[in-house]
Amino acid sequence: MAGLVTTFGAGAMTNSIGEIRNADFLFVIGSNTSEAHPIIAMEMKRAVRRGATMVVADPRKIWMSTIAEKHLQLRPGTDVWFLNSLAHVICEEGLADEDFIAKNTEGFEAVRETVRRYTPEEAEKVTGIPAEDIRWTAREYATTEKAGIYYTLGITEHTHGTDNVYALANLVLMTGHLGKPSSGMNPLRGQNNVQGANDAGATPIFYPGYQRVDDPAVQAKYEKSWGVKLSPEPGLNLNIMMKEVGKSIKGLFVMGEDVVLSEPNCMELEKGMNAAEFIVVQEPFLNQTTRFADVVFPSSVFAEKEGVFTNSERRVQRVRKAVDPPGHAREDWRILIDMANASGARWAFESAADVYDELARDADKFSGISHARLDATVSLPKTGLQWPCPTPEHPGTTFLHEEGILRGKGLFQAVEYRPSAELPDETYGLLLSTGRTLYHYNSATQTRRETGLDAKQSEAWIEIHPRDAKKRGIEDRDMVEVTTRRGSVRARALYSRQVQPRCIWMPLHFAEARANLVTNDAGDPVTDTAEYKVCAAEVTKVEESAAGVGLYPGSFYGVDAPA
Amino acid sequence: MIDRNQPDLPDGVATRALELNGRRIPFQAGETILEVAQRAAVEIPTLCHDPRLEPAGACRTCLVEVDGQRRLVPACKTPAADGDKVRTESERVDRHRKTLLALYLTDHPKDRAVAERGAPNELLDMADRYDAPRNWGSMTSSRESRNGDRNPYIHFNAETCISCARCTRYCDEVEGVSAITLANRGAHTTISTVESLSLLDTTCEMCGGCVDVCPTGAMGEKMPLTRHAKPERELTKVRSTCNFCGVGCQLDLNVDPEAENGHGRVVKVTSPPAGTTTNDGNLCVKGRFAYDFIHHEDRLTMPLVRDESGELVETSWENALAVAAAGLQGVAERHGKDALGFVSSSRCTMEENYLIQKLARAVYGTNNIHQCAAT
Repeated sequence: MAGLVTTFGAGAMTNSIGEIRNADFLFVIGSNTSEAHPIIAMEMKRAVRRGATMVVADPRKIWMSTIAEKHLQLRPGTDVWFLNSLAHVICEEGLADEDFIAKNTEGFEAVRETVRRYTPEEAEKVTGIPAEDIRWTAREYATTEKAGIYYTLGITEHTHGTDNVYALANLVLMTGHLGKPSSGMNPLRGQNNVQGANDAGATPIFYPGYQRVDDPAVQAKYEKSWGVKLSPEPGLNLNIMMKEVGKSIKGLFVMGEDVVLSEPNCMELEKGMNAAEFIVVQEPFLNQTTRFADVVFPSSVFAEKEGVFTNSERRVQRVRKAVDPPGHAREDWRILIDMANASGARWAFESAADVYDELARDADKFSGISHARLDATVSLPKTGLQWPCPTPEHPGTTFLHEEGILRGKGLFQAVEYRPSAELPDETYGLLLSTGRTLYHYNSATQTRRETGLDAKQSEAWIEIHPRDAKKRGIEDRDMVEVTTRRGSVRARALYSRQVQPRCIWMPLHFAEARANLVTNDAGDPVTDTAEYKVCAAEVTKVEESAAGVGLYPGSFYGVDAPA
Repeated sequence: MIDRNQPDLPDGVATRALELNGRRIPFQAGETILEVAQRAAVEIPTLCHDPRLEPAGACRTCLVEVDGQRRLVPACKTPAADGDKVRTESERVDRHRKTLLALYLTDHPKDRAVAERGAPNELLDMADRYDAPRNWGSMTSSRESRNGDRNPYIHFNAETCISCARCTRYCDEVEGVSAITLANRGAHTTISTVESLSLLDTTCEMCGGCVDVCPTGAMGEKMPLTRHAKPERELTKVRSTCNFCGVGCQLDLNVDPEAENGHGRVVKVTSPPAGTTTNDGNLCVKGRFAYDFIHHEDRLTMPLVRDESGELVETSWENALAVAAAGLQGVAERHGKDALGFVSSSRCTMEENYLIQKLARAVYGTNNIHQCAAT
């Protein structure tokens, strides 16, 4: 998100989900769409069925690569090399939209200069993608009018995640693929309300609506609005905060996130949690994090509360209460009000709609939206409203940057390739990536309580290329130990040709095989997002392991499906 | 692409028009008679049609009369032509509908209690609406079912299947996995899988789209059936937004309001009609079937505080809030405000994220507030 704010002035999908089906060229990179965003995948499938060309760039074979025109199976972590080589071809072959660049952007010359040395032939050596495929992709992308880029955490969860976003944004800017239907740059959000959480100001540097905490005018506005003195010091972002727990962070209030399961290198975090003085956790279930809590507030799930979620395409939509919370559990928003008032504040919100109104009062991107207005859209063709939506009459905004780039000028950012923080070596000979599957969700507190989902995938596994497995004396479906410099976990080994040789992959959902015991917490220099996608690992067979239960891969059933 | 929900075409788009039951309706090249009629809010009955699918013209319920055409034509598959005179209601069309529906009913349970154990049955509704005869006897076909399928979610009831192939076409054209297929011929036609495998062992991704598109509930949900949930018509539908990934699918929580001692229970999730929401009526396995966590026995029902022995024990809200506030305030007094950290959640609502950042900033004086998603 930080990357997109820098280059375009807004960190969100530039297009709407409904525009995907009309795209003519889809460039999907670092997104296992059919498993992580199945409904968006359906829209992409519809586009391909209609005749659109899709290119998938992903180290693994995935469902989407089976219907793609080309699958560019790059080596993990070499994204900048690959993307810069695309830019190289576009510049060399005169495919850049010089008119758009001149009118709408700044900084292009530096990029042109930087990408000069990223030739497709050199890129082939580093990324493993044939030079001809790079040329072809660059030409198709640059010359197709309705060409959209779709990416997720495969781009951002690297120590060079922001660089990856910059490199992608450079392609968008140099080809003028922005501010038009079905043509733009689209990060697909992983959680229901990633966009809304950021929009609402749950970030260390922004008040609601991306207004900076260190801007004196903004600070004054909120001091007046809230009637208190506020700090102009930007806070710690999550990765740093988690590293500081037990050190400079002595007290923690955690709402609705199983940080101990989700954060990288969680052994270190557990030590920190033990050293912290006081921890409050607000959760509907006990989880790994509540083990460290001094107080646990029983909270609610989405079906028990009123409010809004904002999806990937900036669409604000209603969440409605269908049933009561169990026992004495309360809605999270009520608990937060109770907590503020128990801490000496006098908050008088009576409903979630009241809260929304206060939020919208000081953040004009959302001012035109209210619960009442959203409720009135239910019977219309489309539900919800897309921000920016500054007034009650405003229809919402389908795609961004239509009347010029929000930032004023799109900012090119020349980036150089930096290797991932930890690559395979003699001791740890394999490259470990982690990710999601269709049948579970994040820490799986919810999905592993579903009998059906558990029937499909009931235990943790790793995908390993048969060649690497045999070298280590590992049979298909043996129990193995995956070890990195940070720790080790046990999982079932699955012979798979989805992964490249010398790469292994494991899902992140299983508490008994917490992938994040082994992942690397080295962060991106801008966002501090951790490198979940690349670290060095080794795999050894565990003797005398019980036979495996039903094991099913995700949604991949290509010609090389696991044995 | 034509917006199905746009009653009037924008200026300049419509250059052609047809006459529908005597009314002049402009249309755009490429629209079918059915699409024109739906835009004009003129009802034409359909069973095999779904706006997400290529027209199949299989069920024959949408036949209408077009002047100059010797036979009735399927509205779903027939492109509108300039100057067409179309009648959706006439003696001939009515006779055709009654005959067709009566024939369908000879091979269908006529009792709602039997035919509607799962979802509302569109065929019975249609038979009522057009007053189709129900006394044409019974000719039960021998469709194979797959009762042994151990998949946990999707049930196939051969008795109410009318072979309209909406489910198999959805599986091919929208989900793209082709897990189910029409098998056998004639009266034996059924919905099956490769070698009658369980859906768990096929390419099926359990999206449940087949259940959603089925007009008669033949593709049905197992869980509400095995748990003896009330029929869908007696449930209250609450429109909400899915709580899993960032697509923001709209879904309808089907609630039995009397269950759980009047606190209500979600017994089923259905999707809104195609064309009305971002998800176009589609849902994935998690959105449609993963709702058991809501009422799971592991849910926390009381506030907990850690006692001297280190155990979490139940307590009152008043006490839990007082302990929590004192604990955080103590840390701030001893180590300064920035010794506190607040972690929010992208799973919670926008309002809740607003409140927690306000709690951190306005009440506890720190900007140490973040959540897992900032990349």
